[in-house]
Amino acid sequence: MKNASSPQNFLRWFDPRYRQIGTWGFILNRVTALGLTLYLFMHLIALGQLAKGAAAYDGFIALVENPLFKLGEMLVIAAGLIHGLNGIRIALNSFGIGTRYQRVMFLGLMALAVVGIAIFGAKMFLFS
Amino acid sequence: MSEKWNITLIITRKKGDETPHTQAFPIEVDPDEYVLDGVERVWAFHDRSLTFRHACHHSTCGACGMRVNGVEKLTCITTIRSVTQNGGTLRIEPLRNFPVISDLVVDMGAMYLRLDAAHFSQVAPLPDTGLPFEDDPATEDPQFERLVDCIECGCCISACPIATTTSTYMGPAVLAAIEHRYRETSDISLLNLADGEDGVWRCHSAFECSAVCPSNVDPGWRIMNLRRKVIGHRVRRFFGIQTQEKVLR
Amino acid sequence: METIQRTPTREKTGLWLYKIIAGLLIVVLLGLHFVVNHLVAPTGLLSWADVVAYYQNPIIPIIEIIFLIVVISHALIGLRSILLDLNPPARLLRYLDIFFVLLGIGASAYGIWLVMVVVSFGR
Repeated sequence: MKNASSPQNFLRWFDPRYRQIGTWGFILNRVTALGLTLYLFMHLIALGQLAKGAAAYDGFIALVENPLFKLGEMLVIAAGLIHGLNGIRIALNSFGIGTRYQRVMFLGLMALAVVGIAIFGAKMFLFS
Repeated sequence: MSEKWNITLIITRKKGDETPHTQAFPIEVDPDEYVLDGVERVWAFHDRSLTFRHACHHSTCGACGMRVNGVEKLTCITTIRSVTQNGGTLRIEPLRNFPVISDLVVDMGAMYLRLDAAHFSQVAPLPDTGLPFEDDPATEDPQFERLVDCIECGCCISACPIATTTSTYMGPAVLAAIEHRYRETSDISLLNLADGEDGVWRCHSAFECSAVCPSNVDPGWRIMNLRRKVIGHRVRRFFGIQTQEKVLR
Repeated sequence: METIQRTPTREKTGLWLYKIIAGLLIVVLLGLHFVVNHLVAPTGLLSWADVVAYYQNPIIPIIEIIFLIVVISHALIGLRSILLDLNPPARLLRYLDIFFVLLGIGASAYGIWLVMVVVSFGR
């Protein structure tokens, strides 16, 4: 990796060493953005089964009832909560709201994300 | 008698086209001395070919920004005690996101040119010097001027995750300078400059700039404030409303 | 001789503002989606018949189509922002822009078609 600015340094985006909490916001937002975009297109393709009629769609749903898919679904929910809540912080800060408290906002919103993830996790794996 | 610590400075070296490598220098220091004192001791007693920038030794010139154990520090005001322990090490590296000229010296020319384009002024009337949310009655009299807080050390650009991949990004110091200058002059061309492709929208809110700034500039806050100003101006322009120009003092 | 290429507009206020407003709209619509799916329809609309029946309420396909377009555009503008941080040359960015526009229009058209097919099953 180069000392000067270079696109080759992109791995440093994901390196939290020696950095403070804001970098975690940056890393989480970027990783979840890429994951959610991939999921969006996979989801659109998968929902194509709806057009093939009841048998095809219900067969597909039976497949995604499998715990591996459920874990994937859980990751999507976690990514959505983290990206959405962190996005609220970025939007508010960018309109000049709460910028001085961005650190506290990030920690608070991520705590909210953890609570949300726990609720969905419990709902999916314990009470289903 | 002052306290004595034995520490090892691990300094990144690079001359010409060499691949960067590290060199260890065990030295004796007083822990209340500053990191820059340690680097100078290496130069004075171990290796006269070591190059680094320094001038004022009291956080006014902004020349001695380096990465100390991975974090951007103004080394003239960073005590050795605050960054290591007796028997410990100090990794001293050049600032990132600037080309290295020699050892710890980086080329900050691009930043200076951009600051110039932003009409950055090192002196401003007292009410315009600090951050607007600081309630400091000592800064209210507009007939007096003082040096503004930004000392152009480049620490913020070194810490910025966007500047690490994009050499064309203006970077926190320059955007902070634009924000500062705009609050002072209400010059609309500054908003247009910040609204360019490498301006205010490239920031992705890591706020690393504000975390490492040694001089209370808070570039992260200023970038967000500048965004608000640019959005306001663009929305007003969309509805055909003129943005109010401030009456210059 | 190479002609001088116009630098494409990268991300300025308009595109950025759209991305942020779309993001906030997604938060609202996704919240609504969770309420509908997990509170109003506790079984979670998991069977084909349930989905078809759900889409017979005319407000649902309208909301879903708005949601679809907003999500696709937010995702693609966001992906483009990440690529912009890699400082792509102007010519490459132009091709990327064409690719993103075609992908966005294609995915939206496919999604709208899918919504229409599901609605038509209930007629």
